[in-house]
Amino acid sequence: MGLPVKLNLYEEALLDALPDGEAAEAIRASGLPHRRVEAWKWSDLRTVLSRLPAKTGVMAARTPREADSEVLALPEPVSLPARLAGLLGGPAGMFVLKAAERFTLDVSASEGASHRALVIEVPAGVSAVLHERYALDAGAFANIALDIRLGEGARLTRIIEQDAAPEAVLVVTGTVTLASHADYAQTTLGFGAKLARIETHITHPGHGARVRLDSAYLLAEGLHLDQTSIVRHTGPHGVTEELSKGAVMPGGRGVFQGKIHVERAAQKTDARMNHRGLLLGERAEIDAKPELEIYADDVACAHGNALGELDAEALFYMRQRGIPEIAARALLTESFLAEPLERIEDEAIRDALLARLRTALEALR
Amino acid sequence: MLEIKNLHARVNPEEGETKAILKGVDLTVPAGEVHAVMGPNGCGKSTLSYVLAGHDGYEVTDGSVSFLGEEMGELEPEERAAKGLFLSFQYPVEIPGVPTLTFLKEAANAQRKARGEDEISAPDFMTFARENAAKLGISNEMLKRPVNVGFSGGEKKRMEIFQALMLAPKFLILDETDSGLDIDALRVVADGVNALRSPDRSMLVITHYQRLLEYLKPDVVHVMAGGRIVESGGPELAVKLEAEGYERYAGKAA
Repeated sequence: MGLPVKLNLYEEALLDALPDGEAAEAIRASGLPHRRVEAWKWSDLRTVLSRLPAKTGVMAARTPREADSEVLALPEPVSLPARLAGLLGGPAGMFVLKAAERFTLDVSASEGASHRALVIEVPAGVSAVLHERYALDAGAFANIALDIRLGEGARLTRIIEQDAAPEAVLVVTGTVTLASHADYAQTTLGFGAKLARIETHITHPGHGARVRLDSAYLLAEGLHLDQTSIVRHTGPHGVTEELSKGAVMPGGRGVFQGKIHVERAAQKTDARMNHRGLLLGERAEIDAKPELEIYADDVACAHGNALGELDAEALFYMRQRGIPEIAARALLTESFLAEPLERIEDEAIRDALLARLRTALEALR
Repeated sequence: MLEIKNLHARVNPEEGETKAILKGVDLTVPAGEVHAVMGPNGCGKSTLSYVLAGHDGYEVTDGSVSFLGEEMGELEPEERAAKGLFLSFQYPVEIPGVPTLTFLKEAANAQRKARGEDEISAPDFMTFARENAAKLGISNEMLKRPVNVGFSGGEKKRMEIFQALMLAPKFLILDETDSGLDIDALRVVADGVNALRSPDRSMLVITHYQRLLEYLKPDVVHVMAGGRIVESGGPELAVKLEAEGYERYAGKAA
């Protein structure tokens, strides 16, 4: 243990609000996560927050109905932000989704720090949709932790729509636990923030359970989106499919940290992760770290990561047909980013997200 | 309609080399005529088509191209397209994720906008697409696919002619449209091209072989070698080339 770090005003304000305990100790010892912490090396939460107003903000998390109950004890948090969300977010509302329920979670936050923890349970055999939307005011730091539990044979489509928020910070930590034969399909459409981190931890028991973990992101100048995920296969015959595609404009920054961990017991796991990025100019940045960690010997696992530019010959072809260069670039970018969104099974949501992507690209023309 | 004078072009130095490829091309194609350009591999035929279309991989170092009385100079590819220049690519590019009809509608409307015309309505566009697809034996299923994705070489060439029918250009450059086609596909494509012939439309047919020309019956045949037009004549020139090959032009390639 080195000397405790000198805390910044933001951290001091957080400490004032925190009860004594592990979270307070962690902040005193090393501050908020920063770039010298491996898991946060491309997303320096500490530095970015130190430039925001150190005050308390208000988060509105609008749900279509009241919580079914309140949960006092959350499972062991997977990160410091998740711990803070549990401690500072008040009692966590627990929602038990009903068959065919479409549950929307509209999160907005005003200037200052605000926290929230929620529990979403999908009982055995139930199929439902969870649709989250995040829209933050300038100066907001919204920190939300979601504990998502799927019972045996349950199906959940989780959609995360993250609006561009150039002056705000968002951390969404999802902890997902599946029972056997559960089907979990998550798709993010993200436009970034001053710093946005969408972190997902999935415990995958195998035994016929399936996970799809997809995203599309489009980051304009000054916008940062970090997608960090770990899928932990703990039992045999599990399937995981991941496809993330992003396009980053000059001055934007995408971060992809994806890990698939296959335990010794998870034989016959079929897990594939693919991340592809388009750099739309010289000052665009994408940092990617795909990882497979495999302890079972009879598995089919693969990962791919490719970064590139728009295809010059395709651009010329389109321009030769009369499409101006800017429109040709937008059309090619749209076709590139559409692929993960087209995998959304729910047609209405799929069309809405594709339309949202098109509108965003038109605004950048 | 198209007047090329003393055209010199080289590979753009930014692409790493500065090799001169066109070394003084002179060529005039009047309205309504079909001209063929034949020549051995590496003579500059395809470069000519790219330079005419405004590809930025090439740099014009001397000479001029005028189209409908207007200097092409530094016009962007899309500006040339809006003026009515269409290049049927030797290797049509696949564009995953962009459906063919979406692409063509975007192209048609972009051209119309550039010319100050109204957009085409969706129903009119669909009717026109169905008519043209029928002429070329293109199925609805093919139209729904992304641009050129999953097509054989011959199908791609057919789709190029379909695109030409949809965009109704004033000037067509067919760059080795016959390569990769079997005899039946060649006839379909040639029929499509012949359907485009009109007194106010001209064509430049770049080819290696005489086969396509039997169907298209060009008004003039030019022979290109060493980056220049070295001989011009009637359709009989193509027959002679087919019989004798390009060897006798080898000496002029410099």
